[in-house]
Amino acid sequence: MLPYAPWLVWAVPLVAAFLHPVLERISHRLRDFIAVFASFLSAVFAASMIPDVLRGYVVVDGVRIEIPADFRVADWIVMPGRSISVGVLVDPLSVFMANVVGWIGFLIMVYSVEFMHGDESITRYWMLMDFFIGSMQLLVMADNLLVMFFGWEGVGFASYALIGYYYKDEEKYWIGPYPPSHCGMKAFVVTRAGDIGLLASIVIIYLTAGTVNFLDLAHDVSWAADLARSGLLTATLLLMFLGPIGKSAQFPLHVWLPEAMAGPTTVSALIHAATMVKAGVYLVARITPILFVVYSRLGELVEPSLHTFFLTVAWIGAFTAFLAASMGMVADQIKKVLAYSTISQLGYMMAAIGGAGLSMHEPHFFVENYMAGIMHLYSHAVFKALLFLAAGSVGHAIGSYMLKDAGGLKKYLPRTYFVMLVGLLALSGVPPFNGFFSKDSILHAMLASGHTWLMALLAVTAVMTVFYSFRLLGLIFFGELKVHHGHGHEHLHDPGPYMMYPLYILAAGSICGVVLMPSLHRLFEPTFHAIGIHHGHGQAGVTLAEMVVSAFASPMIGLTAAIIVAGLYPAYKMYISYEVDYEALVERSPVLRAFWRFLYNRWYINAAYYKVFVDGFLALSEGIFRYIECNGAGPFLQRLYAAFCDAVRRVQTGYLRVNVIYIVAGLLMLVLLTMLA
Amino acid sequence: MSIGYSMMLTALALVLIGVYIMVAKRNLIRILIGLEIIATGVNINFIGLSLLKAPGLLDPLPHAIVITAILLDGALIGIGLAITLVIFRKYGTLDVDFLRRLRW
Repeated sequence: MLPYAPWLVWAVPLVAAFLHPVLERISHRLRDFIAVFASFLSAVFAASMIPDVLRGYVVVDGVRIEIPADFRVADWIVMPGRSISVGVLVDPLSVFMANVVGWIGFLIMVYSVEFMHGDESITRYWMLMDFFIGSMQLLVMADNLLVMFFGWEGVGFASYALIGYYYKDEEKYWIGPYPPSHCGMKAFVVTRAGDIGLLASIVIIYLTAGTVNFLDLAHDVSWAADLARSGLLTATLLLMFLGPIGKSAQFPLHVWLPEAMAGPTTVSALIHAATMVKAGVYLVARITPILFVVYSRLGELVEPSLHTFFLTVAWIGAFTAFLAASMGMVADQIKKVLAYSTISQLGYMMAAIGGAGLSMHEPHFFVENYMAGIMHLYSHAVFKALLFLAAGSVGHAIGSYMLKDAGGLKKYLPRTYFVMLVGLLALSGVPPFNGFFSKDSILHAMLASGHTWLMALLAVTAVMTVFYSFRLLGLIFFGELKVHHGHGHEHLHDPGPYMMYPLYILAAGSICGVVLMPSLHRLFEPTFHAIGIHHGHGQAGVTLAEMVVSAFASPMIGLTAAIIVAGLYPAYKMYISYEVDYEALVERSPVLRAFWRFLYNRWYINAAYYKVFVDGFLALSEGIFRYIECNGAGPFLQRLYAAFCDAVRRVQTGYLRVNVIYIVAGLLMLVLLTMLA
Repeated sequence: MSIGYSMMLTALALVLIGVYIMVAKRNLIRILIGLEIIATGVNINFIGLSLLKAPGLLDPLPHAIVITAILLDGALIGIGLAITLVIFRKYGTLDVDFLRRLRW
C-alpha cells in the first residue's frame, strides 16, 4: 500500500477538481493533463491496496492490521455519550470498487481528451468529472454510513450537473422530448426520492445502535435484535434499500436513467460503468455480509425480516432486469438502448445479491450468489464502458445518436465496429467473453440454490438482451448508409488514438476478463472469513482452468446456447441480413403494434409519474396560488405584517444617539441577567 | 486594591465617558473620538482582567490580543474617517442629526 492510499484515492481527484478553475488561467494543456493525471493517481492508489488485501493484512508504521482494516482519524461529530468518527475502510469490497472506479474512470478521462476537445466550457467538464470520481471513491472507501452518505450525495450532485452539462439546451443535444437541463433535474429529483429513505434508515440505525460504522454494526448486532423486537427491522432495511433503488435505477425509480443520456457520452459511460449507478449495488453488497452476521447470531428472531428484505431485493432486481430489457428492444436511440441494458444488468446484480441473502442458511450458496453478483459488476463495468465509448465514436462520426440516422457504418468505421462487436458479445453473454462467465455464474448460482423462478425470469431477460444487442449492432453497422445533411462522407472515419486506445484496452478486458475472476474470489476471501465462512465453503481456491472447465462442462452451457440462439436468430433476420421487414411486421399485426407501443412508451410508467407527480404538483401549486395566496391567507398576512411594521417603525428614529442608548440598555440588561442567574 | 481592579475601574470610567460622548455630541468626528475612547477602555479592562487571573504571573496571550485589537482599531478609525470625509463632501455637514435619509 502506498502511504495514505485509502485517503488519497479519493482526496486527489477531489482536490484536483477544485484546482481546475485556477489551472485554466495558467495553461489549457496543463489543466487537461492534471485532470487525467488525477484520475490516474486515484487508480494507482487503488491498485496499490490490492496486494495488502490479498495478503490479508496491512502494515502501517510497523503495526500490522488485519483486513478489514478500519482507519479512523478522530471523532467528527461529538455528542454527550456518543460520537461519530470519520475514517476509511480497507476491505475487499472497498478496494475492489475503488479499482473499478479508478481504472475505468481513468480510461474514460483519456478518451475525453479527444472527445470533448474544443468544447467551450471544458473546465467545468473536467472539474465535475474529477469531482464525480473523487466522490465515488469517498463513497466506496468510507467506513461508516454517514461518510458514505456524503460521497453518495456528491455523486448525486455531479451526475445532475453532468447530465445537464449542455444547460443551454441547444436543439442538437436533445434526446427525446426533454431538454438536457430538464433531464439533469429529473435525475436529481428521482434519486432524491430514494435518498430520503436511505437517510431515514441511517438515522434509525444510529439511534438504535449508537454507531453507523460498518465494522461496529457487524461486531455488535444487538441493534438488529432491538429493531426486530420492536418490529422495525424490515421497515429500516427496506427504507435503506430505497437509496439503492434510486441510485441504481431499479424499478420503480428507474425512470431517470434513460434521460441521463442527455449529457456527453463520456459522462454516460462514467455514470453507467463506474460511478453513480454502481453505488446502489455497492451499498447492498456492503450491508449483506453485515446482515449475514446478524442472521448467524440472532437466527429465528431476525429471519422473517431478512427474508422479506432479500426477497424484495431479488425480485425487484429480476423484475427490473426484465422490464428494462423489454424497453431496450424498441428504443430508438443508440445511447438509450445502452441505458436500458445498464438498468437490466444492474437488476442482475441486485438479483444475485438478493439471492445470496435468501440462501444465508447455506453459506456455500451465499458465497456463490454473492460472488456472482460481484463478478457481474466487474465485467459489466468493463463492457459497458466499452459500449458507451464505442457509441461515442459512432456519434462522433455521424453527429447523431438516433438509430434512424445510423446504418451501414461497418465499412467506414471498421475499428469501432470491432470493439462494439466485442462489447455486445460480452453483454449478450457469448462465450468466452467476460459477460458469459459472470452471467452464467449468476444463473448457475440461482439454480443451484433453488431460486428457480428468479433464474427463469433472468434467463428470459437474457434472450431479450441478446436480441437488443444484435438489433443495435445491425441498425448501426449493417443495412444501407444514411447520409444526412451537414455530415458528408469525409467525417465518417474511426476516431484518433486518444479515443481508440481506451477502446482497445477495454475490448481486451472484455475478451480476457475471465483471467482475473479467480483472483477476485481470492480477493474476497477476507470478507467471508470475517463473517465466519471459512475455507472449503467458498470458491477461493478455484483456478482459472477449473473455472473455465466448470463453466463449459456444466449443463448450463446448453441453456446459454439456447438463449443466444433464441435471441440472435430473430435479430439476425430482421436487422443484420434484413430478410424480414420488421417495420411491415409490426405494422401488419395489431397485437404487435399495441405491444410495440406499450414498450416504446416504457410501459407508461414514466408518463404516469409525470401525470401524478409533475402535473399533480403543478396543479397543487396553482391551487395554492389562486385560493390561498391571492384570496385567502395571503392578503391577510400582508396586512398583518404591514400593521406590525407600522408599530415597530417608531423605534427607528434615525438618531445615532438613540441607537447608542439602546445598545447600552441592552448591555445592561445582559449584565443584569447574568447577575440574576 | 490590586492594580488589576484599579485598571478595571479606569476602564469603566473610560467606557462611560465614551458612551456619554457618543450620546451627547452631534459632530461625527467627536463621535468617532468617543468610539476610540470606548475601545481603549475595553483594552485596558482586558489587561486588568488578565492580571487578576494569576497574581505575579504575566500571561502573554491577553497582551497579544490587545495589541491585535489596537491594530484593528487603527483600521477601523481609518475607515470611519474615510466615511466621514465622503459624508462631508456629499452633504456639507458632519451633524449626524441631518443624516437620517433612511428613516421614513
